[in-house]
Amino acid sequence: MRTLKRNLLAVPILVWIGLLVGVPMIFVVVLSFLSRDNLGNIIYQFTLDNYRRVVDPIYLRVFWNSLLLALLTALITLVVGYPVAYITANLSPTRRALSLGLIMLPFWISSLLRTYGWMILLGNAGLINNVLMALKLIDKPLPMMYKFGTSLVGTAYMLMPFMIVAVFNSVDKLDRSLLEASYDLGASRWKTFFQITIPLTLPGIAGGFTLVFIPALGLYFVSDLLGGGNTVFLGNLIHTMATRGRNRPLAAAFSLGMIALALLVLSLYWKVSKDKTGEGLFQ
Amino acid sequence: MRQPLLSLINLNKYYGDVHVLKDVSFTIDEGEFLTLLGPSGCGKTTLLRCIAGLERIQSGDILLSGTSIKDLAPNKRNVNTVFQNYALFPHFNVYDNIAYGPRMTKSLNESQLKTRVSEVLELVQMSGYEQRMPHQLSGGQRQRIAIARALINEPSILLLDEPLGALDLKLRKHMQTELAHLQRKTGTTFVYVTHDQEEALNMSDRIVVIDQGEVQQLGSPREIYNNPKNLFVTSFIGDRNIFPVEVVEPGEECSKVKLGESVVAVRNSSSAKNAFPAEGSAILAILMDKMRISCDETENAVKGRALSIHYAGSQIRIEVQVEDRVLTVVEYQKIDCDCQVGDTVYISWEESGAILLPKDGWEERGV
Repeated sequence: MRTLKRNLLAVPILVWIGLLVGVPMIFVVVLSFLSRDNLGNIIYQFTLDNYRRVVDPIYLRVFWNSLLLALLTALITLVVGYPVAYITANLSPTRRALSLGLIMLPFWISSLLRTYGWMILLGNAGLINNVLMALKLIDKPLPMMYKFGTSLVGTAYMLMPFMIVAVFNSVDKLDRSLLEASYDLGASRWKTFFQITIPLTLPGIAGGFTLVFIPALGLYFVSDLLGGGNTVFLGNLIHTMATRGRNRPLAAAFSLGMIALALLVLSLYWKVSKDKTGEGLFQ
Repeated sequence: MRQPLLSLINLNKYYGDVHVLKDVSFTIDEGEFLTLLGPSGCGKTTLLRCIAGLERIQSGDILLSGTSIKDLAPNKRNVNTVFQNYALFPHFNVYDNIAYGPRMTKSLNESQLKTRVSEVLELVQMSGYEQRMPHQLSGGQRQRIAIARALINEPSILLLDEPLGALDLKLRKHMQTELAHLQRKTGTTFVYVTHDQEEALNMSDRIVVIDQGEVQQLGSPREIYNNPKNLFVTSFIGDRNIFPVEVVEPGEECSKVKLGESVVAVRNSSSAKNAFPAEGSAILAILMDKMRISCDETENAVKGRALSIHYAGSQIRIEVQVEDRVLTVVEYQKIDCDCQVGDTVYISWEESGAILLPKDGWEERGV
């Protein structure tokens, strides 16, 4: 009886999620098995053609680009974000609030605007090149835009707060007396960091990695604006197919391919977080 | 003269504006069991952490075997700590927890390490638990592992920060005996922090009583218990009746004070020789269990009226009204006088049980 009541309370949420996530998902799955005419109208006839194209070596290359971008993004945010999270967690309460506030501040500005900000910074006539030229350190502008690295920098910048917050939470929970015990037993700060801090904040690292990796797979406007389409990523490909390419069935098939890739990473995360202390983002 | 193992010289420690250790100086001898005793917030744990190197001192010095260690990081000091919450590494099993110290300092190779780990595990009676994880152990077992982990480095001094605080009463009593035994067996110098006077009196060779960041008294448990130096130690240790009295006749060793209708002689505290103004007032402190009740008047006895009589197992607590004051007398089993509530009784005490102190600090106590 009691459980029934509790389940009843979950109904509105289930309906909500069902309508906003479930139904569109079904559309996508169905769509991925259909084809279209030249005008982009859907032809209701079952076909596996879309999936054949998904596993085409040319397109597998796109999967690889996206996987590489997402992995490197997660790695960069981890290396840059971990120290920020660690230091923030060890600040006094007021400074910690200030630091977290500053980390969150970019969310108040449209991400599109912030991406244009990077263009102003990195462009041939951009701020960095202007300063370097004015200082006579370089003769002609350094080409920094429209490269794989540019997309990487932009994506990492965009997703950095997720990593910082995830790691912050687990550093914050870390029992300081364990670090003291480690120093006390003769370990240096460095050894303590690798022997105690890192293993015990692994749930936060894994959580942050997942939170960054999955959006990085699909984020298309950053690589569109900063990468200039020189490297094709999954997000851009799907976006182009669905709009200019007028091929929504193919876009649907690629979307499901991307979801499969994300699920693969999620399952790895679940494995890691269960093996360890059992605390994580999704418990 | 023998050099002390650890010397604390005028230690001062501030947290912001708060002066938590005030000119703390004393020495610790090799092989002794020394207890830092005081109420919570008195600075005893801070003092321990200063010795361990986990806190920095603002002035003063700490000498270990004559060498200053005050600027050494905790990992460079040959002292180890047993933390209040044990601080066992949750992601290591018992073996790896204990092996952590030697591995970090690379003092032993793996086969020597194996022997040493089983040695210390045997010492704390935990052989066979190598593969257990900390969360699979009970509080008492974690305690033993924490001690084993600290002892494996063979520290000059083992620091223990209220290690028995989280255990239940029965286990605590058992561990007290075991710790004292362990200390004698290993010959390691123990510095033990507690707020529990019974624990301190039971185990220690010497006790340092600390209050408000200052050393109040240092001495053997017997000295501290029988000859408290000031009002704080008097009220903190032992169950005593403490109240102000009129000094009728000050003396060098003993003074005569007026209590009720009687005038009785009381031993002066060591800090109060000749310190009483003639006919001034002082503080009298009498250990409850050194007092006796009788029905007949004797020499040095004080007349009063029995207010209540409580039987509490092995002891009997009797409250006696003497003029406008209520004194508590603790008797064991046999009472000379089978009095009833409301009867007139006479209370007296063993000479060693009473002490007369100067009135300094009485008002601040707010009694």
